[in-house]
Amino acid sequence: MKKIFYICLLAIMSFLIVSGCSSNSSGDGGNESKDSASESLGDSSQDESSEQSEESDDVIELRVAWWGGQERHDRTLKVIDLFEEKYPNIKIVAEYSGFDGYFDKLTTQFAAGNAPDVIQYGGNLNDYVLKDVVLPLDEFVGNQIDISKHSESMLDAATFDGKLYGLTLGTTAWGVLVNKTAFDKTGVSLPSKDWTWEDFRDLTPKLSEGLDGTYGTADFEEDGFGVFLAQRDKFSYLDGEIGFEATDVADWFQLWKDLRESGGAAVPEIQVSASQTPEQSLIVQGDVAIESVASNQYGAYSNATKDEFLLYPYPYDSETGKNGVSLRPSQFFAGNKMTEHPEEVAKFIDFFVNDLEATEILGNDRGAPVNSDVRVNLIDKADEIDQAIFEYIDLVSETSDAPYIPNYPGYNENTQLFKETAEKIYFDQSSVEDAANNYYDKLIDNIKKYTEE
Amino acid sequence: METSTVKQKSVPNLRPNQYKKTQTRKNYIIAYIFLLPWLIGFFSLVLGPMVSSLYLSFTKFDLLNPPEWIGLANYQDMFSDDKYWASVKVTLQFVFIAVPTQLIAALLVAVLLNKGIKGVGIYRTVYYLPSLLGGSVAIALLWKNLFGIDGIINQVLGFFGIAGQGWVSHPDYALGTIIILATWQFGASMVIFLAGLKQIPSELYEAAAVDGSSKVNTFFKITLPLLSPVIFFNLVIELIKSIQVFTSAYIISEGTGGPINSTLFYTLYLYQRGFSYFEMGFASAMAWVLVFVLGVMTIMIFLSSKFWVHYEDGGKL
Repeated sequence: MKKIFYICLLAIMSFLIVSGCSSNSSGDGGNESKDSASESLGDSSQDESSEQSEESDDVIELRVAWWGGQERHDRTLKVIDLFEEKYPNIKIVAEYSGFDGYFDKLTTQFAAGNAPDVIQYGGNLNDYVLKDVVLPLDEFVGNQIDISKHSESMLDAATFDGKLYGLTLGTTAWGVLVNKTAFDKTGVSLPSKDWTWEDFRDLTPKLSEGLDGTYGTADFEEDGFGVFLAQRDKFSYLDGEIGFEATDVADWFQLWKDLRESGGAAVPEIQVSASQTPEQSLIVQGDVAIESVASNQYGAYSNATKDEFLLYPYPYDSETGKNGVSLRPSQFFAGNKMTEHPEEVAKFIDFFVNDLEATEILGNDRGAPVNSDVRVNLIDKADEIDQAIFEYIDLVSETSDAPYIPNYPGYNENTQLFKETAEKIYFDQSSVEDAANNYYDKLIDNIKKYTEE
Repeated sequence: METSTVKQKSVPNLRPNQYKKTQTRKNYIIAYIFLLPWLIGFFSLVLGPMVSSLYLSFTKFDLLNPPEWIGLANYQDMFSDDKYWASVKVTLQFVFIAVPTQLIAALLVAVLLNKGIKGVGIYRTVYYLPSLLGGSVAIALLWKNLFGIDGIINQVLGFFGIAGQGWVSHPDYALGTIIILATWQFGASMVIFLAGLKQIPSELYEAAAVDGSSKVNTFFKITLPLLSPVIFFNLVIELIKSIQVFTSAYIISEGTGGPINSTLFYTLYLYQRGFSYFEMGFASAMAWVLVFVLGVMTIMIFLSSKFWVHYEDGGKL
């Protein structure tokens, strides 16, 4: 029911926004067109537009697309208002949604030739660069775009074949969200911040026992697997090479099978209904007390609940002593190669990551800012939650014992493959070993398919 | 008004034959003008895309770069793809269960409503309503919540002391919930059945009653045979509709066809390959196989019809 409510709300909101924007445009452009409606708008609109410089005769329209939860929508829309105030000749049309279906829609729009001008990508930016639909930004660097204060590693993350294709919207790191309220209820004491998988195994069944209808932990899924590999000094895929064995996959799934059997991890039926949107996530819905999240999402999750959440590092591997979490780009803003206004696209992206006022509004929602000036400014003004995120990012950057590994090529298909493999084990349709071997073989095939071109 | 004056004018001047000819031609033109909106839609929105999808089915096309001719490779890949066959299996399971249950439900309710109960109009509307709503995203979401682990279904079951399941998130039951959703939309077939039942002459029933035929006997010996043309019609329509089911599975499984491909309908897999995995050529080939199979199935039903469909006038219509 909640979901329906949100969808209705979204529909109404997007309607309001669209209608709001269109009435703006008729006001701004009123000076140009000689229809009676614009004349009746009166002097005020004429004055305003005559103040604008001569070159901004036409109002340029830019479409900006992103996915996220309510929190991110609110903040991003505010920044868009701010941008429009500063550049009255650029009108932004916002196209936003949840994560489900976002990339399907985007691909369709590309095929139809009406994709937005500015697009938010995740770790799958590489897929779209391979398909040659992303605008290289190099010619704007130093003009519209200032990257002098950006951290090198985050620029590298958006650089392919020596060209810069996007700006990182924030630095993030995988972390573990812990529901402190649930811990307090059961009397299980909070773990230390350098806990191990063994601690994790001990503690989660106790949580399930002490709580009615809530399980200790949600499955950490594919994101967790990446961290798990790094803890063993391995990696998923880098520069055309797979860095792990089928046995690693089996170990990971066995770990979770054991956790489910001990009662610590959520039962399959609940795990399968997990959602990527903070408001509908298992931890916010009270189905589990622990969940793996990206650190930038800490705020969105906390604000969606009355319970108190804490951000923990991943459990350590007690043998290697490694934590495996690395700093990574959360999302990127990149331009559409076919855009009619590449300069304005560059301006908007720059504004989004470098403008002090804009970044203050955005806060940590897409991760810690990559611009060092902006970051210093934000840390000064951070609230409790943002403070915790910055502390966590600092912790990871100090103790980081793993490199940043980008996504597999063919992100959509491989993510689906991982999910299916997990489900086969959940519902006993396959032994852990068979499922892991299957996954490994299929993954190699898929990567071949996507990198062949 | 204009046409009538024209008619009056032209009648005396023309020989009957000639008059008839111009009149038919005029009728044709008028008919085409009225058909124009549909024709434009058909050629630009249906036939055009169909022809281009036939071409694309022989190409490797990632939606973003120009298609590249690869001949029959897409069709060959289909046969060696496990997931493709999984989707075929799910779809056939769905069709073979959902179509008969839906038709039986529709027929039973229609027979009941035909009994002349008070307020038939209200019942008819109430039972027809799901057909209007059932295909929508909102109902699919509602379904997902009804059959979710904390859903109403489980609360009701809990009241009777039965431990519920996460119906939509368990691979053994997920398809079942979608079948129930499809069955629930029996209204459209029901209305057609109801119209068919009204056509059956009441003398036949009176004669049967006089002869002392039991109600069950009357149903099988009179109602069913005389209703068979309507059953035939509904069967074909429902088959075509349910083999292409998409929305409910897409929403309920969040586009994954999960858990473990248990709701991976043919159309859903087609969509995934086309739009998520950038293989529009393969997806187009899948679409053409679907068209072909659907055509064959329909022809088979038509051929079988002479053995079981009874036309009162001998099928001359």
